[in-house]
Amino acid sequence: MDRARFEYLLGAYGADFRRWPPAERDVALAFAHEHGTTLAPLLEAARTLDAKLDLAGGAPAPSADLVSRIIDAAPRARVAPKRTNFAPAGWALAACTLLGVLIGYGGGALATPAADKDDYFTAAFEAPSPVINDTGDPG
Amino acid sequence: MIDPDAETVRLAGAGDERAAETLVRKHLPKMVGLARRMLNDGAEAEDVAQEVFLRVWREAPKWRPGAAKFETWMHRVALNLCYDRMRRRREKADPEAGMMVADPAPLAGEIWLAQQRAAAVNAALSALPERQRAAIALVHFQELTNIAAAEALEISVEALESLLARGRRAMKAALADVAQDLIDDADGVSRG
Repeated sequence: MDRARFEYLLGAYGADFRRWPPAERDVALAFAHEHGTTLAPLLEAARTLDAKLDLAGGAPAPSADLVSRIIDAAPRARVAPKRTNFAPAGWALAACTLLGVLIGYGGGALATPAADKDDYFTAAFEAPSPVINDTGDPG
Repeated sequence: MIDPDAETVRLAGAGDERAAETLVRKHLPKMVGLARRMLNDGAEAEDVAQEVFLRVWREAPKWRPGAAKFETWMHRVALNLCYDRMRRRREKADPEAGMMVADPAPLAGEIWLAQQRAAAVNAALSALPERQRAAIALVHFQELTNIAAAEALEISVEALESLLARGRRAMKAALADVAQDLIDDADGVSRG
């Protein structure tokens, strides 16, 4: 750091070293401390300008209306539809199924019994199946 | 580079309402502040801040931490929106745009003085060329680092320093008539 560099940075960033480039901040502080007397008028002038800029004041807080409008526009996670609401179509389907079961059961009881119950079960469950040999391979 | 907002942005993009609110509470005042410095108009500043966040919500679901921090990117978006509005003002040649309208209601003396000083400084800032104004707004008022400010302006650090130096020289000349005793008064009020 030399005087030219110090003056250049002071002219750009002002007298508050927190605004200076982080990489040069400590060196600049040490330089200012070392050359306090000669740099004092420059630092004072920069400090005065900083203070004048600060007279601009802080920006007022955003209005509550603006805050809520922006938050309302934020993306929302998709919510899965509730399963507890059983739709009317669902009730109709369930009623039809129940009615079908009841008619089927009652209808079966009223139907004429098969002449030979064994034949009935044979026809129902004895499907053709592959012959299995001892090795388990289909024959 | 660690971006302190990266995780919050990711959550907000996934629809986390609390993360979205966190981003708004943290960054909205800065966006309004920057736009106000640039445009010198409170209502327009809020419009710009809202537009910035609409873009944030659009980008958040696909946000990937990259070269610039999220906050720097927001500042860049806000600046570009401000430049658009300033260009439209010039095209419309509206002489009253950006002029703060004085509140006609009577004010207590100190508040009135503070408003007069603020108006004088903001008027001087408004008279600066856009890039110099933006450089001072980012470094002095937004307190961005030199690197972040240069990224927001999409220029080198050296170019930023040149803008800052020229802007500060112009402000020094423009505010020469703001008397030192007013500053001392302001310091006394703020300390008191």
